[in-house]
Amino acid sequence: MNTWVYLIIVVMALCIILIPIVAYLFGGWYAYWGHALLAIIFAVMAILLKTRFYWEED
Amino acid sequence: MSPIPEATPELVSGVILAIVAFLSISIFLGVFFRKKTKTFEQWLVGHGDIGPIVTGFALIASYLSGWAIFGNAGLSYTYGWSGSWLIGTICIMGITLCLVLGYRMRRYVKLGARTVPEMLKVRFESRGIQALAGLTMIILLIVYSVGQYKAMATVWTITTKTPFQWSLLATALLVLFYIAVGGYTGTQWVSCFQGILLTAVGWTLGIVALFWAGGPATIVESLKTQTYTAPGGDPSNISLEGYVLPLSSPKYLAFPGVDWIGVTATIFMFLLMATGFPHNIARFLGTRKVTKREYWVMLLIVIVGGLTPLWIGVVGFAGRKVWGNVLMTDTQYAPMYGDAVGALVSMSAGGTPLASLFAASVFAASVATLAGMVMIMATNITRDFIHNIKPTIPPKKLLWLTRLMLVPFIAIPLWWTLTSPPPVLSELMAGSAVAQAGIFFFVVGVSMYWRRATKWGAVAALIYGLVITILHPKAYGKLLGLYHWGYWALALMIGSATLYFLVSLATTPLKEEKLEKMFF
Repeated sequence: MNTWVYLIIVVMALCIILIPIVAYLFGGWYAYWGHALLAIIFAVMAILLKTRFYWEED
Repeated sequence: MSPIPEATPELVSGVILAIVAFLSISIFLGVFFRKKTKTFEQWLVGHGDIGPIVTGFALIASYLSGWAIFGNAGLSYTYGWSGSWLIGTICIMGITLCLVLGYRMRRYVKLGARTVPEMLKVRFESRGIQALAGLTMIILLIVYSVGQYKAMATVWTITTKTPFQWSLLATALLVLFYIAVGGYTGTQWVSCFQGILLTAVGWTLGIVALFWAGGPATIVESLKTQTYTAPGGDPSNISLEGYVLPLSSPKYLAFPGVDWIGVTATIFMFLLMATGFPHNIARFLGTRKVTKREYWVMLLIVIVGGLTPLWIGVVGFAGRKVWGNVLMTDTQYAPMYGDAVGALVSMSAGGTPLASLFAASVFAASVATLAGMVMIMATNITRDFIHNIKPTIPPKKLLWLTRLMLVPFIAIPLWWTLTSPPPVLSELMAGSAVAQAGIFFFVVGVSMYWRRATKWGAVAALIYGLVITILHPKAYGKLLGLYHWGYWALALMIGSATLYFLVSLATTPLKEEKLEKMFF
């Protein structure tokens, strides 16, 4: 695995770890929509991983 | 304070009109595309030519069930911010994982798989695991179906004033009707239409409700002053302000948001469950080859559609701000309680047009998901059991047998909901979701990518998952002192994963030459 792959995985893991932290520290609407933002970043990273590094052709 | 609305003749007409319009479009699409279906096999997976936009919205439609499009409002109304964990504010993560992993189903379709359990038969060369997976799906999907019934029947009761039990029967009849006239084909095109409808109405209702309640800041201030009230119970002194709701009584520990252990479990659940849902991953059975650019288009659809549950959650917060806890205490709302808030806010904030569209959306989400699950359960019996044992049965006979099997799978969850409706539907559905996440994410999703997986690893995860499912805090877990949902859910998901990997590593995988056709 190259460095970019590691970096993307680290960002994805951070997105998960930050979920309860954001809820604990900020709460309210910040946490509610902040979770959605973290989920979107995670999703973009996952698709980036698939299309750039693990694309499978039939 | 805005008064709680009641059904009017105008609203009844609007709801019926919207549902008839929804049914008409679905039936037209279903019948139109069914004409192209010549065999039982084509009926099961189509022609493998479905594009990314239809696949994306179909995935959204199958994911957004009665829980997301309806139950989420009940969660935020009942539990305040701590309800967010079950609302699934991070659901886009899980749906994207399904998007990434599910695409490989196409490879198994080329190898002869026509259902999700059949994919396991191909993967592990085992008829036994196909049957076991089929049985597990039936058990878990029956539980999930109960929530769909409650969602639709609640909307029906609120908007037409029909008694709840009659609304349930009407829902069951509508499902039969829906399936009988063509919607049951579950074509991606019907699901795509439903996905667009759910997304558009969910976003609109959420935004309208936010303004109706006076804006985001007033909702925050209001929640600071409100306390938790159990369905049909007395108000407690526990504030709805926090992201955990420290309920201490054992019977309340079945709610995931009571502490950070429960919160952690919901995060894992939402990461795994979209892939674990058989009706989700089955969306890829008929997908054509897509380009990288098209993959990004699917992600965009997932993001837009995946924010819909959050907007439905906003509806519940708005209802709580305007009406306080009256839906939890007033007996006229039993057994719907907080789950009634979505329909009531749509009536009060959006009037007849939005309330009618919302009712049609809940109908789309509940009945279409219910119909899809009923179809999966029926094909589990015919394709994964009967055809598995006797492959020589003519396809026409199997098709008729599948239609016959629809009846018990419509009736069983109906009876359950009639005799024992769940007080908060999303809580019940979360139990089934954890099991599907813990079992099928690994058994189906990971097995498609991990060469070292073995059938014994999959069998271990399936059996363990089923046993622990029975020990749900609101089922038999309490007999063993297991009251805490978070511990139960983590035990199920982590236990299933551990067994899956350890048993796989301890047993012999398929020979390399056999694996070559699946991993290249």
